[in-house]
Amino acid sequence: VSLRLLYARLRSLGRRRRRDADLDEEIRFHLEEEASELQESGVSWDHARSAATRDFGNVALIRETTREVWGWGSLDRLIQDVRYGCRSLAGTPIVSIVAILSLALGIGANTAIFSVLETLILRSLPVDSPSELVLLDDGRGRRPHWTNPIWEEIKSRPGLFDGAFAVSTTQFNLAVRGETEIVDGLWASGTMFDVLGVPAIVGRTLTPEDDRPGGGPGGPVAVISHAFWQQRFGGAADVIGRSLTVERVPFTIVGVTPAWFFGVDVGRTFDIAVPVGAATLIRGPGALKGRSSWWLRIMFRLKPGQEPDAATVLLRSLQPQIREATLPDDWHPGTLERYLREPFRVEPAANGDSSIRQRYRRPLTTIMVVVGLVLLIACANLANLLLARASARRQELSVRIALGASRLRVVRQLLTESLILSCVGACLGLAIAHWGSRLLVNQLSIAGRPVFLDLSLDWTILAFTAAAAVATTAVFGIAPAMRAVRVQPNDVLKSRARTVTGEGGFGAGHVLVIVQVAVSLVLLVGAGLFVRTFSSLAHLNLGFDDRPVLVASVQTSGTRLEPARLGALLQQLLAAAAGVPGVSSAGLSMITPLSNNTWNNLVEVPTAPHLSREERLVHFNNVGVGWFGTYGTPILAGRDFATTDALGSPPVAIVNEAFARRFTGGRNPLGIRVRQPWGIDREIVGYVKDAVYESLRDPVPPTLYIPLGQDPDPPGTIDVAVRASAASPLLLTKPLANALTAVHPDLLVTLRPLSDNVEAALQQERLVALLSGFFGALALLLSALGLYGVTSYAVMRRRAEIGVRIALGAAPARVVRLVLRRTLVLVVVGTCAGAAASVWASQFVSPLLFGVQPRDADTLLSAIIVLALIAAIAGWVPARSASRLDPARILREG
Amino acid sequence: MAKAHRIELLQGTLDLLILRTLVFGPSHGHAIAKQIKSVSQDVLQVETGSLYPALHRLEAQGWIDSEWQNSDKGKRAKYYRLTRAGRRQLVAEQSKWEQLSIAMARVLRPAEEG
Repeated sequence: VSLRLLYARLRSLGRRRRRDADLDEEIRFHLEEEASELQESGVSWDHARSAATRDFGNVALIRETTREVWGWGSLDRLIQDVRYGCRSLAGTPIVSIVAILSLALGIGANTAIFSVLETLILRSLPVDSPSELVLLDDGRGRRPHWTNPIWEEIKSRPGLFDGAFAVSTTQFNLAVRGETEIVDGLWASGTMFDVLGVPAIVGRTLTPEDDRPGGGPGGPVAVISHAFWQQRFGGAADVIGRSLTVERVPFTIVGVTPAWFFGVDVGRTFDIAVPVGAATLIRGPGALKGRSSWWLRIMFRLKPGQEPDAATVLLRSLQPQIREATLPDDWHPGTLERYLREPFRVEPAANGDSSIRQRYRRPLTTIMVVVGLVLLIACANLANLLLARASARRQELSVRIALGASRLRVVRQLLTESLILSCVGACLGLAIAHWGSRLLVNQLSIAGRPVFLDLSLDWTILAFTAAAAVATTAVFGIAPAMRAVRVQPNDVLKSRARTVTGEGGFGAGHVLVIVQVAVSLVLLVGAGLFVRTFSSLAHLNLGFDDRPVLVASVQTSGTRLEPARLGALLQQLLAAAAGVPGVSSAGLSMITPLSNNTWNNLVEVPTAPHLSREERLVHFNNVGVGWFGTYGTPILAGRDFATTDALGSPPVAIVNEAFARRFTGGRNPLGIRVRQPWGIDREIVGYVKDAVYESLRDPVPPTLYIPLGQDPDPPGTIDVAVRASAASPLLLTKPLANALTAVHPDLLVTLRPLSDNVEAALQQERLVALLSGFFGALALLLSALGLYGVTSYAVMRRRAEIGVRIALGAAPARVVRLVLRRTLVLVVVGTCAGAAASVWASQFVSPLLFGVQPRDADTLLSAIIVLALIAAIAGWVPARSASRLDPARILREG
Repeated sequence: MAKAHRIELLQGTLDLLILRTLVFGPSHGHAIAKQIKSVSQDVLQVETGSLYPALHRLEAQGWIDSEWQNSDKGKRAKYYRLTRAGRRQLVAEQSKWEQLSIAMARVLRPAEEG
């Protein structure tokens, strides 16, 4: 029934124009009939006509009440309100566009950042009862990896929990030779899928049977992700049983996981999951036995009712046995004692584990606060705009009230207008959010390690956007509405445009402008600090040239050469790389700076015996002849390594300035002897400039370079760096890959410019600087608009007064001063408040800064100058137009 | 409260009066108002502000329908006519009204006597 009614109403809506015309004609007929009757009784036509109209009453009101009878009153009123609202918003296009855009950017940015924050930090894993999941932790603040022997000890004690599993995020190479083909991989214990409750959509998941050293009964097996299945196999139904070569080992595909499952590492995903036991095939026979090889995360599912604290107590009771059984064999006794004492504990892990969460928590939270403040400014701006607009429309509103519109109706009209603004703004904002959050996730990714976040819009984000829109409407919709209906129609109509009532509302406008100025100053200072941080890191002296260098990581393990032959192979690789046209020099190293690979160890320097353990920890790198030249790291004293530094010749080393500062008090360290933990004594023969090792932010660590030629057991992966003589090193990619793979058919090569590593290391700071700069500028723009709006409103209100002053001979400059005086007060008060707030807020961002103090006076001063300049322009434009008012015209208007 | 009550009573009464007037044949708004005024000997004054909403309401309820015709002076006017449902409604309303007026009279009479 109600559907039919709705249909009838919708149909009648369509006929509405005709019905309106009919009603008008009906009323006109009535009036004429009445008038002609009066005329017949002897009254003149004009009198009859006006008497009939008077008798009839308020035509508009009667028309309105009759229309309501038509049955679709509330819907009709809504449509009418919306139409009227749209028309009136279109009447002031600049105000409307500014309002909608600032809302859209405010809401969009908030939703985008919140989406990423929610997905990365807050959201629970999409698995069965994620709240029961906990992670094995050592209480040292960084979520640790564990060795496989520890995992086996835990695995051998079933019944402690409702389930336990080990997992590790990794990358696998699928190519057999030539250039590597890297995919995201997962080491998963056989229990993982069962404990998480993740089913297979095709085939089966991994079982404990599969998870045996060297593979299960049917040989090594793997499970692939839905995305990989689609992309690599085109979603083929017969994928089960197919063979897939991972790190040169053939695996049989046994299943496909659901599209929503990405593992337990938020921010990463996987293409291929293989059992932990298969590590013996990929990483060598000893891979599962390494007692100091920390590579697994261990997670448990608590029993129903089991508290994390109880689980920690339970694990502590087992800790001595487990630790005792897994003692690393080659450790120092002191370290072993610490190992035994280190307590087990569990940490809630409902939202999984994330390698990038820790890194982005503070930057994202900071940006969230920034965009929250931008939304605040946008709201203040809107409130101001609408306040001014409602004041400008008092005349119109009074006419409507005088014509019989109820105050409720007028308030509803104004609220409808605000709602239209916020709805359009929110819709645009949602589009911006959709696009922006993806852009943001792309920005989080660094070369070679893409960040994956499952960013589908969920109810939390929708609720968040809706709340933002509604709150915004409430803030800026109700204030002008309340103000508008307080108006006495008679007063307004009498006083015409020259009214000066309504100071109270304008006071609110002042406060809003002060808040805007203050908040935008805070954002500007923040943006200044972040941009300077980025700039100091980007202009940091790296100690090497990243631009001309291309690095090829060559995996030699596929050649299965003996260590002795491997040395010769490295020489061949170096020669091949140096022979590529366009290469000016080449050098080998075990570790490439800023590649997230680190090697550090303790050394003893007999001439500096007083140093503590921590102070004797230095970074190592194994480098070949010509490496320093290729990187452009200057040799300050002594010599580079030479081909004569080979096995059997006296052991030598090169150190950097930081090493010299620590061990020789900054004096030239040449000739000093360094003892490595395994007993080799090296003589320092070279002294090089400090160069960045693993992080841009940390000071350069003391570094000891040892010659590759003196390494009896060359590494399985060697980095070949080449320096391009003129053009971009990227042009060398193909020739270098060809030259290197020509050396031996079983080599695997991954190429990447050295500048990618630097970019990746800068990426967090770049992101923060970019976003805070953008939003700082936006805040500044919005505040300028706010100031402009308030000043022009003041000018409009004081037109008559200004006109009189000009007529009485006030000079234009005097008028400008008159108008600007008020703006100046607002800006000064806002700036003072903003400066105080910046100084207070700076403490929260100091961990994100580099090369600039949180209370940097220069930054604060520049921000104030920029703000003052923009404010001056925003105020000067309306002030100038005020000084050019034509007094004669204004006085005539009055 | 009291005001709202009176309006409601008036509305119901006006509907009955309109339906009753239309029993004598189709008529337009102005004529209906005049008719009610003259039949009641100027006691009942129909406000145009109530008349047109009432006419449109009765039409929406299906008790009357309308047609554009030329009036006796040759002008186009909207004529309202009682429908079959309207006739039934009139009978029901009328008997309800009669019951009400008898009841009212009963209640009021003792007061007159006392």
